[in-house]
Amino acid sequence: MNYKSVNKCFLRCFFVIISIFLGCMNGFAQFRVSGKITSENRETLIGVNVLVKNTNIGTLSDIEGRFSLDVPDKQSILVFSYVGYATKELSVDGNSELNVMISESAELLNEIVVIGYGSQRKSDLTGVVSSIKSEEIQKFASANITQALQGKIAGVQVTSGSGRPGEAPVVRIRGTGTLNGASPIYVVDGLILDNIDFLNASDIASMEVLKDASAAAIYGTRGANGVIIISTRQGTKNTKAQVRFNAWQGLQQPAKLLLLTNASEYGTLVNELSNKAVFADPKSLGQGTDWQNEIYRNAAFSNYNVQISGGSDLMTYSISGDAFLQDGIIKSSYFNRYSLRINNTYQVSPFIKIGHNVSYVQSAANREPGGIVFNAYAADPTVPAVDSDGNFGNTSVLSNVSNPAAQFKYNAYNRSSGQQMAGNAFIDVNPFKSLTLKSSIGFNSFSNKSKSFEPEFFVNDKQRNPESRLFVGNSQSSDWQWENTAVFQKDLKQHRFTLLAGYTVQSRQGEFLGGSRNRLIGDTEDFYYLNAGDAQTATNYQGANTPERYESYLFRTNYAFKDKYLVTFSFRRDGSSKFGSEKRGGNFPSLALAWRAKEESFLKNLEGLSNLKFRASWGILGNDKIPTGAAIPTVTNNLSAVFGPEEALIFGASLITLANPFLQWEESRSLNGGVDIGFFDNRLTGEFDVYHRLTSKILVPVPIPDYVGSAGNPYVNAADVVNKGLDITLNFQNKEGKFNYKFSVLGSFIDNKVISLGSTGNALRDVVVNGDFATLTQPGFPIGSFFGYKVAGIYQNAEEIKKYPNNNPVKPGDLRFEDINADGIINAKDRTWLGSPIPTFNYGFNLEFSYGGFDFNADFNGVYGNKILNAKKMFRGFGIPNFESSFLNRWNKDNPSETDPRITNGGYPNFVVSDYFLEDGSFFRLRTLGIGYTLPQNLIQKIGIKSLRIYARANNLFTWTKYSGYTPEVGSENVLQVGIDRGIYPLAKTVVFGVSCNF
Amino acid sequence: MKNIFPPFRLILFVIGLLLYPSCGEDFLQVKPLGEINAQNFFQEEKHGAWAVNAIYNQLRSWDLVSFPYLGMTDMVSDDAVKGSFPADAERLNAFEDFTYDSRNPEDIRQTWKGYYQGIFRANVAIDGIPKIPKMNESLRKKWLGEAHFLRAHFYFNLVRWFGSIPLITRPLTQDEFYTQERVNTGKVYDQIKSDLIIAISNLPLKSTLEPVDLGRATKGSAAGLLAKVYLTQSDFANAAKWAKEVIDSKEYSLYPDYARLFRREGENGVESLFEIQATALEASYAAATPFNMVQGVRGSPNLGWGFNNPSDDLVRSYEPGDPRRDATVLYVGEVLPDGSGVIEDNPSMENERYNQKAWVESHPGLQDNGPGNIRILRYADILLIAAEALNELNNPTEALKHLNQVRQRARGTRTTVLPDVVSVDKVTLRERIWKERRIELAMEQQRWFDLVRTGQVEKTMKNLGKNFIKGKHDLFPIPQTEIDLSEGKMVQNPGY
Repeated sequence: MNYKSVNKCFLRCFFVIISIFLGCMNGFAQFRVSGKITSENRETLIGVNVLVKNTNIGTLSDIEGRFSLDVPDKQSILVFSYVGYATKELSVDGNSELNVMISESAELLNEIVVIGYGSQRKSDLTGVVSSIKSEEIQKFASANITQALQGKIAGVQVTSGSGRPGEAPVVRIRGTGTLNGASPIYVVDGLILDNIDFLNASDIASMEVLKDASAAAIYGTRGANGVIIISTRQGTKNTKAQVRFNAWQGLQQPAKLLLLTNASEYGTLVNELSNKAVFADPKSLGQGTDWQNEIYRNAAFSNYNVQISGGSDLMTYSISGDAFLQDGIIKSSYFNRYSLRINNTYQVSPFIKIGHNVSYVQSAANREPGGIVFNAYAADPTVPAVDSDGNFGNTSVLSNVSNPAAQFKYNAYNRSSGQQMAGNAFIDVNPFKSLTLKSSIGFNSFSNKSKSFEPEFFVNDKQRNPESRLFVGNSQSSDWQWENTAVFQKDLKQHRFTLLAGYTVQSRQGEFLGGSRNRLIGDTEDFYYLNAGDAQTATNYQGANTPERYESYLFRTNYAFKDKYLVTFSFRRDGSSKFGSEKRGGNFPSLALAWRAKEESFLKNLEGLSNLKFRASWGILGNDKIPTGAAIPTVTNNLSAVFGPEEALIFGASLITLANPFLQWEESRSLNGGVDIGFFDNRLTGEFDVYHRLTSKILVPVPIPDYVGSAGNPYVNAADVVNKGLDITLNFQNKEGKFNYKFSVLGSFIDNKVISLGSTGNALRDVVVNGDFATLTQPGFPIGSFFGYKVAGIYQNAEEIKKYPNNNPVKPGDLRFEDINADGIINAKDRTWLGSPIPTFNYGFNLEFSYGGFDFNADFNGVYGNKILNAKKMFRGFGIPNFESSFLNRWNKDNPSETDPRITNGGYPNFVVSDYFLEDGSFFRLRTLGIGYTLPQNLIQKIGIKSLRIYARANNLFTWTKYSGYTPEVGSENVLQVGIDRGIYPLAKTVVFGVSCNF
Repeated sequence: MKNIFPPFRLILFVIGLLLYPSCGEDFLQVKPLGEINAQNFFQEEKHGAWAVNAIYNQLRSWDLVSFPYLGMTDMVSDDAVKGSFPADAERLNAFEDFTYDSRNPEDIRQTWKGYYQGIFRANVAIDGIPKIPKMNESLRKKWLGEAHFLRAHFYFNLVRWFGSIPLITRPLTQDEFYTQERVNTGKVYDQIKSDLIIAISNLPLKSTLEPVDLGRATKGSAAGLLAKVYLTQSDFANAAKWAKEVIDSKEYSLYPDYARLFRREGENGVESLFEIQATALEASYAAATPFNMVQGVRGSPNLGWGFNNPSDDLVRSYEPGDPRRDATVLYVGEVLPDGSGVIEDNPSMENERYNQKAWVESHPGLQDNGPGNIRILRYADILLIAAEALNELNNPTEALKHLNQVRQRARGTRTTVLPDVVSVDKVTLRERIWKERRIELAMEQQRWFDLVRTGQVEKTMKNLGKNFIKGKHDLFPIPQTEIDLSEGKMVQNPGY
């Protein structure tokens, strides 16, 4: 069965399940209230949230703005809330018909924001929490929802590591605190995860980013790099089934191709560097093969999503199905994901609610042939992809890489398929009104199967495979988490308290199993099973990851006095199995204060000012993102040796890597001060935050001298780093007649500095490029700064070589480095700080307009102040790879360049780490451009549709940057290795057309 | 429905859940799965065997037997050129042209790293085996002997390449990582010698090895290596003494057929003092080395990459009719040693010829699955050490005996070639012995060390028109990464 038919079958089942569900639904009435909701200018409002205060009973207004709701008693208070409008409370007072008018509010002070282990009114927030809603999340056509955060939330930087379909971007919140694993954690409906690749955009109700210590401290050990809380869509009580359907299809193409030399240019350069006529007449070679054209393509992608939600007074339901199908812009690569989600709650008694959020995801992907991006970059352009006899050209003689076109024929089968089940089931008990006890069991079970096959083939003596080979691998992991919390809430006139106490445990473990065989009995997919291979060639492996366990106690209190003075205190005690028994526990307190100055009598009536709030917070957070074995040295097996007349392989094992039993928590202490301000009924709002975060005892695998003899770098608590920053968000929105518009601007300034190094006091160096460490981490400079020579010019002649003596032999035409220490000789001591890979300024700029049924939006984002090391240009490999066109500016007798060296093929000085290869990483990108049209209701009502919107959207359309690579976004999970472009799967620009409708 | 108070039991249950006591210390105490952890290592006898086998395992790694090793032994010497296609691994030309520096090619760093990782494994064994609580004491002694021998082997190559180096004799602790300095070569040699003395006293004679232990270091391996160490230090009395010790042990003799010595039948034979053991398994390449692949015939019949080609100078330097030339060099058109085919011309190769000593018969798997043992120390080497040392000690008669034994085996039944050397003039004889070493051990990764040791390197390289600088190129540069990480505690070799 192929994937398409699986897909069909899946969708069919899905609809059957949904119809069964809908058939079962009914409700029970107590006292029915109905009515109509309009805006100040008497427009009917659809989808207004109507809730009985202090209960979960609620509904949404329908297409005519009408609602109908069963309330517990005739004195119930109804709460009406709607995006863009002020929340209104109204007592039923025995009326069965209520007509309600709600007024617009540019900012929603009473919007509910999800925080760790609970939720809060936005006006009550003391910490720094930014929220992004479902509409925004769906704007970016990507398999990974974190892409939606880029340029949307001040202080959050999202960097696409590569354009490979389905691949997760690198996310940094408020700079780089740690030297290792600086990514935030994700909390999906309460479940703590490191990876959210399985989520699809349509299922998300909101994402909340907890940026400061006060907000994140409740996540203790794992909060140091920020927390992203994700809530999936739920049904609403007492609502008729709502069907939402969203589908789009689009096209992707490489956002940019590189300028490489063509055949005659390459021939000229090869002759020049070899000092002989390797090619008799380079001019005659013409354009030759453009290898980039051989591997890239315009690729289709699409997304289909159906969601049905609703509820009776005893239950809510939300069921959705989603298919995300993406072909990669490199031939043969694709990523398809099918997901199903069921989020239900059941009121089993007046004081007990149970529920579950469950998602099941199946994915299938094919990875591009290994190394193909580099091979297309490096392949000899004088060689045809396929020659006139139909044979693949031999790219191994000069450029010494595989023929990329042949790789698609022989190395294209790299399949993987995954299945993931993640979710939780919970019970909420309200023994009395002010107390909620909650127990939740979460789980995440994941299994992945991979297969790759290479047939027997011969392209040339280097690119060949004399025996067909099959590799298979299976991995499985299962996590569980048990969370118990008690929340006590009390309002006493001027005092409001919320107390939270909880206990959680979490466990993760995984296993893997795989093997290979050669000489398969057939070459087609139906033979890709180990049993079809020769058992004599069998290999296998199986193992388990060291389990990870956590046990934590948490406590938080929120207190509000007169709704003006707000205090939050939280405390978490964590135990983690990753550390040695002496260092296992960690305590993480935080405190936050806020003052809603606008509520003071002296400001209450101030014309124009609609909100003013000051916030301050302090807290300690932890980070334990290290491999589980880092504290426990293990013995490596299978270091075997051959002995005896039979030449038997005799088992050997030893310690080959040092580990550090003294590892302990990395700690970050942060201070945050902020102001929220609003003017003109909150049409203009601003949020300003300054922060200071000191990360001490950072956990890092320290690059140690090779003479130590350890096969890997041991982790140590090595250094202290400070991030100082300023986050600014400004929003302006207004409405004139049918014309709505909204602008927002956000910016964050980051100053990242290493304060001190660990006990050895040694600077940290990492990433060896052509024999030198390319990055240096030392006090007073940003983490992972570039380090190397500064180019002063080009040696024009022998006199200049005498004048600027160099420790190593140089020739006219070579790069001349600056004599930094002015000792009269250019040597290794003249290397210096060259720049930082961390932008000093991240910014975003968003516009939205709508007029009648038309809407338009444009999102821009950019970074400023960082450098990128073009390491792919420095790598000369095992032959003479193709050149970037910039090499044509080379120095030679006819062109005495002062900036570009003579053509060489590696080595000192022209290919060592210097600012010659360092480029400006700043960019400004039109990230999203969207237009949409919502059809008039009178047109579509007849066919039973509540709303219908058609839209077109483009992502990554333009990027303004000086960087010469595929994309200036060069991410890395390891913060000592950021900004080094070794040739990545390029970014795509995309255009999609879609339709969304509600029934 | 009235909002009534829930059953008392239910409240108790939920509060019970919340107050559920800690899972306990056991919950957070996890063990690595499928692996032993360091605290449990060296608790049983077999752990000692594992740790020693793991040192031998390192001998087969890429860093120790391929580009890095061949580049810094044969290619840099007058015996060999880079080989393969001109553009293939072009960076290795630096060894031929003396253009290598502290960064490029990175193969120098790989050598440095690979050898120190071997030393690490030896140190772990030397540190751990004495701690094994209960075990057969003679085994303990033997395993420690092997570990000491292997550590000496690693340090001996390092000190000859790099000069003074950090001397690490136990696993370092965190605060010692950056504090190591280069110690002078004398101290390194003292350590090598003391390791070898321990090995000599701990290890069995080759003839008393259990058959299953064939290939492990023996008393003879250690004594032979010690002789070479003394020769390198120009301590001729001790060199002669230890070479004689090997010779007089009667454990070894010359294999009758020089050409076949390097085939599989010659592995671990009568002439072998120490070899890196390898074989080609059917299923995995876990027992192989890249040594044969890197030097194998490029093209048809396809066995390898065609690197490390015998140089014109080497080919010229054989005495007329010396059969060792054909046993060392594979030419285009030549029938393969096992008669399985003829070497076809590969038009992309310049000066196409191959190292026949690294050539292997067909075997399971691809060329990656190189099964050939790599000869480290053989009896002919010992005889020539003895000859050289005795000549220096003014005993030409004895020296000639050993020298001519080597020539005699080389000429075999032929009578017209390689006549016995008769000169007793010290200087002439010295030259003859050096020349014999070059020819006898050609393409066996010995030549560079001999050139440097005997002080011939500058003249030899100048004669070949190479840009050799005395006082610089006698030693390889310390990798720049090491200098940088030590923050200047390690000082670079002169000239780099």
